[in-house]
Amino acid sequence: MWRICGVSKAQPVLFCRGIDDDFQPTWRLWGEERVDGAIYTVYLKKVRYHRPTRCASSESDDEISHLEWETVRVRFVKAGTVERLVEALATDDGELECTYVNVFLATYRSFAECSRVLDLLLRRYEALAAEDVLPATIDTSQQHRKTLVACLHVWLDTYPEDFRQPPHHPALQQLLAFTQLHLPGSELHSKVLQKLAIFSAERNGSGGGGGVCLAPGMRVPAHHTSAYRLPHVPHRHFAEQLTRMDMELFKKLVPHQCLGAIWSRRDKDRSHDAATVLATVNQFNAVSFRVISTVLVEPNLRPIDRSDILAAWLDIARELRVLKNFSSLKAIISGLQSNPVYRLRKTWALLSKEKSELFEELARIFSEDNNRWAQRELLMREGTAKFADTVGENDRQLQKLLHERGSPGVSHGTIPYLGTFLTDLTMIDTAIPDTVADGLINFDKRRKEFEVLAQIKLLQGAANAYHLPTDPMFDRWFDSVIVLDDREAYQLSCQIEPPTNPPKERRAKKINENNNHCHRKNDSIASTSSSNSSQFYCETDGAANAWKRDSLERRTSPTRLSHGSSSSSLPSLDISVSSANSGQKQPNGKLPATSPAHANNRSGPDFYIIRVTYESDCVETEGVVLYKSIMLSNNERTPQVVRNAMLKLNLDGDPDAYTLAQVLPDKEMLLPANANVYYAVNTAYNLNFILRPRKNQQDEPIVNGKARNKRT
Amino acid sequence: MTRPGPPSENLPTVKLVVVGDGGVGKSAITIQFFQKLFVTDYDPTIEDSYIQHTEVDGQWCILDVLDTAGQEEFSAMREQYMRKGDGFLLVYSVTDKQSFENIRHFHTQILRVKDRESYPMLVAANKVDLLHLRAVSEEAGRELARTLGAPYIETSAKEPPLNIDAAFHELVRIIRKHPQQEEKQRRRRKLFAKCTLL
Repeated sequence: MWRICGVSKAQPVLFCRGIDDDFQPTWRLWGEERVDGAIYTVYLKKVRYHRPTRCASSESDDEISHLEWETVRVRFVKAGTVERLVEALATDDGELECTYVNVFLATYRSFAECSRVLDLLLRRYEALAAEDVLPATIDTSQQHRKTLVACLHVWLDTYPEDFRQPPHHPALQQLLAFTQLHLPGSELHSKVLQKLAIFSAERNGSGGGGGVCLAPGMRVPAHHTSAYRLPHVPHRHFAEQLTRMDMELFKKLVPHQCLGAIWSRRDKDRSHDAATVLATVNQFNAVSFRVISTVLVEPNLRPIDRSDILAAWLDIARELRVLKNFSSLKAIISGLQSNPVYRLRKTWALLSKEKSELFEELARIFSEDNNRWAQRELLMREGTAKFADTVGENDRQLQKLLHERGSPGVSHGTIPYLGTFLTDLTMIDTAIPDTVADGLINFDKRRKEFEVLAQIKLLQGAANAYHLPTDPMFDRWFDSVIVLDDREAYQLSCQIEPPTNPPKERRAKKINENNNHCHRKNDSIASTSSSNSSQFYCETDGAANAWKRDSLERRTSPTRLSHGSSSSSLPSLDISVSSANSGQKQPNGKLPATSPAHANNRSGPDFYIIRVTYESDCVETEGVVLYKSIMLSNNERTPQVVRNAMLKLNLDGDPDAYTLAQVLPDKEMLLPANANVYYAVNTAYNLNFILRPRKNQQDEPIVNGKARNKRT
Repeated sequence: MTRPGPPSENLPTVKLVVVGDGGVGKSAITIQFFQKLFVTDYDPTIEDSYIQHTEVDGQWCILDVLDTAGQEEFSAMREQYMRKGDGFLLVYSVTDKQSFENIRHFHTQILRVKDRESYPMLVAANKVDLLHLRAVSEEAGRELARTLGAPYIETSAKEPPLNIDAAFHELVRIIRKHPQQEEKQRRRRKLFAKCTLL
């Protein structure tokens, strides 16, 4: 449907049907034309007035055949009022100018409401119908109206979401009333009725939650321990599963939500306007966090085993390259290049030469150099190609890979890294004004934006070429990975390889004087004399918390571990640099923290990762089990743990209104109201917990069985 | 594309990275700085959109500006591009207190990625034209910059622009003035090691 005009600048995007491919018109800018409420750019187009019947190879004989050319004047709306822009949906002759219609429908939300546009369109139709009485204009008027109806068809087919407007679908109702009056029994009329039926059926519960966009990670079946464990996982399969997750989100992506006016100018409390973009971003981060977490989460791993995990991710990344999934590919590279992983020099040094080269080559794809040229070029070449076939001269490992694979039997789609498009659209939005002189809407800006949107749409179409089955076990693995936040990741990283260049003790006390939290940290550092990296954080605690709170609000991805705003929720992840081994991997996914019995601070981080599920009587959550991982340190009592869990589960209210219980094989252990949870939990089993609204005050906390205080 | 004047031999390339929260006007600063280049038809996708020959204090250099506006929420890739910068423009909006507070976070993250105690940075308080919406005072801004050990500048990308070129030029100066770190760091590291042993 669209042809992308790549980087061509001189010509406007003019491609559409009606221009035959073997028949390139010559365009010449003639000038601007101003009328009331609109400015047009006028081009002179040289066209043949009849097709040559002789040999087709006379293309070059321009001079000989010049008699067959004539010059036509074509004008394009450059800027205008909404009214004029709606009128322009049909050309002067009443023809459908499909490029214009596509640009308009893809971008109008940045300058007008759906209802306003619909209103104008319908009124325009009615005005044309009223003109009908003059026989001289009857033909063009009819043509005009036909075109407007065609626009409505395109609108309904391409952007049905515009008409959803629950619960009463006012725009659709208005359209229905219109078709009943003017076009009863028409195709448009039945399409409107059909849409109405679909929407109301969805509303009555048969369909899913409408515009709600759940990241795949939200659907968590149960607390199973995962069967997959890095590094021994099937690489190809992992790459396919990541691609399947990305593909689902990418196909659901609503391109116009990427527009600068919507994505980068959105209010923080209106993030649902860009929900599909946000879902993609969250998935990207989720993949990166999994890379970081799997590399770091076992501090006592032998370096060679840790480098095997790096290698496994590189193998997965290589498969993603073959699958042309640039989103997860970049997410993995970003994870590997994130500071906590990247700084592990000893681990990286153990990678084989081939793997190091592979890393370099894959990272080169996402180089920021020359305005991300490498990435753009690759997307341009392979975006809609059937399979990956582009490698650089110096990409030895990738050359080898593509050579080995030959040309695969199945073709793949492409999943782009969305961030580049988002930046391009943000920049266009900033660089080109919304309005021109006299406040007219700058439609040329929308054309420019559409070039990017059309590329996204094209790739979305290509993504249909993926045929990837769902592996629920992979989803379980994905959700079971504990996600570390910035600080935790860095602290674990420093525990694995202590910083060689520890920052000085700078200004630690001066800053954030009113932040108790900060003082607490100072105290604990003083007493454990461990890593001065903690002090490094100390001065940023306030900012870091605020930062997290902010991003937490917008986040829909469930499993990110973060301690949010609560002042005392920080685990005392005081790192003993001299951390002893004691590194057997626990089967239940918690960190191989040493047994709490060794409370002498010399044996490792004193914390567990626990999973908390929220259970309520509310029907909405039925069938969907959400859990969040939270860190549990050895000084946290029940109210604090409840508060942490509430924060992660997005629950408001009083912590006292909830109860927390550990799930044991045969029963639940309800935690007393003010227990030290760390010592109360039963570590013989998985650390799975249930948070519930407290039923009533009679509920007495009962400690069942084996809760024991390990600190004897 | 290039303006007349710069010598054609190999000029040093200086990579500047613009960081800050979404909505603080990073893109407006970048665009304003390069505006003179795309008078008519701006295209964000071409190779040299954000490269400019610039003369600072009589010395020419190639400024290569990286602005990832619109990608703020891809938090996982932030450190990846920070690694490439020679100097950083830390931008907050004077109308947005949160963006001001987050400057510390960016500062910490940059130092961590660079594994340095200090790095060329400039704190830019943007949108100072919005007097009536101002939520962060100049004093607060200067105090923050002081604690971070970075100079402070007030900017506005609205016409007529305030201190936009000056901000980029100042950052180039900071980079040029910044001591070659490797040597110094290593020495300090030894010193530090001794201290802790004692």
